[in-house]
Amino acid sequence: MNPRDEELVASAQKGDRRAFEELVERHKHKAYHIAFDFARDREEAKDLSQEAFLKAFSNLKKFDGRSSFYTWFYRILVNLCLDYKRRQKRAPSDEFDETVEHQLEPSHQPSIPMSPDQHVLAGQISHKVGVALQALPPKQRTAFILKNHQGLSIKEIAEMMQTAEGTVKVHLHRAVTALRQRLAEFA
Amino acid sequence: MADQNNPLVVPCKTLEEDLVLLHYGDLAGTERDALQSHLNGCTGCATYLRELGNLLPLTVKADEPAPTFWDDYSRELRHKLDATAEKKRWWQSLAVIFQPGLLSAAAGAAVVAIALAFTLGRGVWPTKDIPHDDEAMMEALPVAENLEFFKAMDVLDDLDLLESMGSQGGAA
Repeated sequence: MNPRDEELVASAQKGDRRAFEELVERHKHKAYHIAFDFARDREEAKDLSQEAFLKAFSNLKKFDGRSSFYTWFYRILVNLCLDYKRRQKRAPSDEFDETVEHQLEPSHQPSIPMSPDQHVLAGQISHKVGVALQALPPKQRTAFILKNHQGLSIKEIAEMMQTAEGTVKVHLHRAVTALRQRLAEFA
Repeated sequence: MADQNNPLVVPCKTLEEDLVLLHYGDLAGTERDALQSHLNGCTGCATYLRELGNLLPLTVKADEPAPTFWDDYSRELRHKLDATAEKKRWWQSLAVIFQPGLLSAAAGAAVVAIALAFTLGRGVWPTKDIPHDDEAMMEALPVAENLEFFKAMDVLDDLDLLESMGSQGGAA
């Protein structure tokens, strides 16, 4: 029988590296996908999710088990993603670069081949969505991504964001309203 | 896709938040039933819900990396973990040296060593700054000789004065 996360954490806290590597194997896919939802870039998502694991590893002794490892770890990850977005915002804003967008697209191509026009349209939509998401305040963006992209429950999001469930619902509603206005042409 | 010039559909303001939750399947029980029956008679809310269904999936950018990506991911992370563990060990060994107890003990020992060196070292090492008594005498002697010379010069001045006074008196 596979040990629970908490058992692995307890072993890792005693210095068992294999236990921590098992935690990595369990959570790496989800961690990567959350990071990808924030960064919308494969390399950045890989770096951010790995950084979250390293931070968790360094601070493992501080984990007191009051929340689940899952909640604790994803809180670290989301904070790193938000910091990354903040840093990116301070960098000069990028104009829509069709070439760059095209370079990114092959990894996310659907199974049905697209015509060149559809490809351009998909790139434009993706870019506009990215800009609209980035324009959201951090808490709204977090609530939206964790709900819309990751399908987490309101309760899980509230635990991760260390806030009340009602507050998460408000953030989510405001995020949806803002996105609907910004992306009205696609509705 | 809706016409870009069309204004957005306006749902019932008080139900907007619940409609978002209904879209995500987060509304349950009587609240969900009440909203469902409201939707049957409200075009604005029904259209809004449909719009969310069209729009929100577009915001998801799917990414499924190949299995090789995950192998590299794990290998790379293991190397990073090794480096982190090594760095942690280094800091821990440094932290042992700079423990508050050890640090204050070392500081105390240093103070005692300096104090002992000053106290016991006075007789052992000759001091360069403070001259010995003989050396001081040797330094002061030329100065004293100079003083004698100037005094002798004063006596000579006095003799000259007496001589000139005597010659003046003889002439008179």
